[in-house]
Amino acid sequence: MTDQEILQLYRSGERDKAFRALVASYKERLYWHIRRMVLDHDDTDDCLQNTFVKAWQSLDRFRGDAQLFTWLYRIATNESLTFLSRQQTRGGHLELEAAGRLSTDPWFDGDQLQLALHRSIAKLPPKQKAVFNLRYFDEMPYEKIAQVLETSEGSLKASYHHAYEKVKAWMKEEMDAKY
Amino acid sequence: MNEEKDILELARQEGNAFRTPEGYFDSLEDRVMARIAAETAQTPARRPVWSVLKPALTLAAMFALIFGMGYGVLSLTHTLGRDANVAATEYASAEEEMITPASLINYYQTEPAEEPEIDEETLINYLASELSFADLAEIYAQAN
Repeated sequence: MTDQEILQLYRSGERDKAFRALVASYKERLYWHIRRMVLDHDDTDDCLQNTFVKAWQSLDRFRGDAQLFTWLYRIATNESLTFLSRQQTRGGHLELEAAGRLSTDPWFDGDQLQLALHRSIAKLPPKQKAVFNLRYFDEMPYEKIAQVLETSEGSLKASYHHAYEKVKAWMKEEMDAKY
Repeated sequence: MNEEKDILELARQEGNAFRTPEGYFDSLEDRVMARIAAETAQTPARRPVWSVLKPALTLAAMFALIFGMGYGVLSLTHTLGRDANVAATEYASAEEEMITPASLINYYQTEPAEEPEIDEETLINYLASELSFADLAEIYAQAN
């Protein structure tokens, strides 16, 4: 079902049916986007459900001048950033601890290279991490990322470039230390 | 492509390292809808107009009561003030009738009215009797 069909169904009064279709369409993409931000499966599940609850609460006000895809990614990114900032407020950089626990996480299958990658990404500032993930993993065009994060394409390109260089350097450092 | 860039490219080629519990995505719609239903049920129904206005009306009533009490106290004070004015006027008129230095001089300069005299016999009778002062006054009055 396309975004347009989902919205038409919702506006025709079939709200539950339309929303189920919306969750079905976006659940996996949004799950992986959030998971790469917060790393832990249970935390991701919480953030994903919060994302859909917020989408449900404000779908009435969705004007349609943005794509449903962009709008949902924005909510999911904000949920992830809120989660990360709450963790930092509670003390320490818990996302670094979460990255440290990846090697024993039952829902993580990565090798040393993957561990080095996610540990390095965890060191990025949260917003830069969002930029890096959307571009590197989702291969989202800058134009779309700019819509999701509500920022200019120019600053995004610079931010991604810096993030890419930092992650590369940290990965190399970690891999060199191991081998 | 340099060696450092290859690290990131290699990592990308390995694909997704994260997994989810078995069947996680299959039940997600149901769990999301159940949570929405639970949150909707927990959200208190929209408050009736009366309950929204009640605090404001209570405040207004209290203000009216305090204003009324204040007005009452002020009115009473004003009445007392007016009574005080009346009393002052009455006092002033009474004062006019009071003894003044001039009236006192007039009094002493005026010939005193002839005082009725008590004759000797009456006096002896009084002293000989056990008449009280009141009796004496009565006798005196009768005699005059």
